[in-house]
Amino acid sequence: MIFSKEKTILAYTVEKCTKCEKLNKRDFVMGDVLFTNSSKCSFCSEVTIIEKIFGQVLE
Amino acid sequence: MGDDTNPLMMLIWILPIILFVFYGQQIQLLVTSGEIKKGIKKLNNFRLNSKTELIDYVNNNLNPANDPTKKIEQFLDYFTIMPVDMDPSGIVEKVRHTVRSREDYTRNHIKSMSPGINDVELNRVQTLLEISSSLQMIHKIVNHMFLTAKKQKNYPLILPVQMILPFLMEHAEAMNSSISAFKTGQPLGDGIGPMVVGKMMLDAKKEIISFQTALAKVEYEKRKLFLLKAEGPSSTVGRPDDALQKIVNDNKIDAVIMIDAALKMEGEDSASVARGFGAAIGGIGTEKFQIEHIATQNEIPIFSIIVKQTVKEAITLMSKDIADQADNVRSQVYEMILENTAEGQSIVVIGVGNTAGVPQ
Repeated sequence: MIFSKEKTILAYTVEKCTKCEKLNKRDFVMGDVLFTNSSKCSFCSEVTIIEKIFGQVLE
Repeated sequence: MGDDTNPLMMLIWILPIILFVFYGQQIQLLVTSGEIKKGIKKLNNFRLNSKTELIDYVNNNLNPANDPTKKIEQFLDYFTIMPVDMDPSGIVEKVRHTVRSREDYTRNHIKSMSPGINDVELNRVQTLLEISSSLQMIHKIVNHMFLTAKKQKNYPLILPVQMILPFLMEHAEAMNSSISAFKTGQPLGDGIGPMVVGKMMLDAKKEIISFQTALAKVEYEKRKLFLLKAEGPSSTVGRPDDALQKIVNDNKIDAVIMIDAALKMEGEDSASVARGFGAAIGGIGTEKFQIEHIATQNEIPIFSIIVKQTVKEAITLMSKDIADQADNVRSQVYEMILENTAEGQSIVVIGVGNTAGVPQ
């Protein structure tokens, strides 16, 4: 497999706090949908919304 | 010097020449066959993988009353006969009717497997069925061309297969890789248009204007914006042509702006943004035709913004580079509105593409 050209792509979700606008990147979990409410902001405890969902190649 | 007339050396030179003169094509056929066989094997694996994934998905998520395998296999063999084009007049209407009839049939077919299915799941299974069906068709055609060339022992017949195979493999690999994104409801690279427009219509009141197509009306710098996108987060592209027709019937529209993903050329950067003129929409061509027809009849200019990407990027999970362009594209849309329209005018902004994982 060391010669395989296949790249592993991991899915991530970026949450944005509606109050302090801080961004938080975490692993994508099934059910994540763009622009919907997500977890609470770790800085100001305000509800975050999902700003982006994307894939990145595992380095 | 003596070697020149040595009969053994002459035979060594002449034999390969004779061999290549009479059997050259067969030798080339053998060499090329090896490469094509590898491709066909890969295509067969994609076909089987997509079918297995589809059957597993239906069994695990739709709770069908009976084993769906036979029904799915039957559907995968369904074909579509395109209308005759000897007399091209009215061909677009005929193609649209044929394609939409097939879509309706597919939806009914899925509903018959699981009557209580919701729209999101329905669209997801429909997309997976289309992927599986397309992979089956690609495998079938390539295999047919290859076997025909071998049967006839005709080298020139195998050349078109050899030439077209890398492009088909690229598409097939992209389709095979897209299955996981569709199954998990993740946004695709093609979803950049709906993502941009979806965010623009977030706080506005939404209505369904045509089949699986959402509309929101907002004000921007004393201009009226009609924001259109497919109804997310289902895996659908909606019917923006029907929606535009309805809007134009009731309103005077001064400009249309379309945002879509477009295939990049070799050497171009992925996720680069370009502006242009004309209807930016892919597919079979019927929607593009209808949008151009409406625009021409009503003398509406069409502007477009495209985000360039590869086939694979367009139908698999959206890459970071493409997602990072969303804010840039949105600001370019607003810039385009201010540059090309005046206060009091009305503009239709269409986010074109598959809206899987992108609500509004």
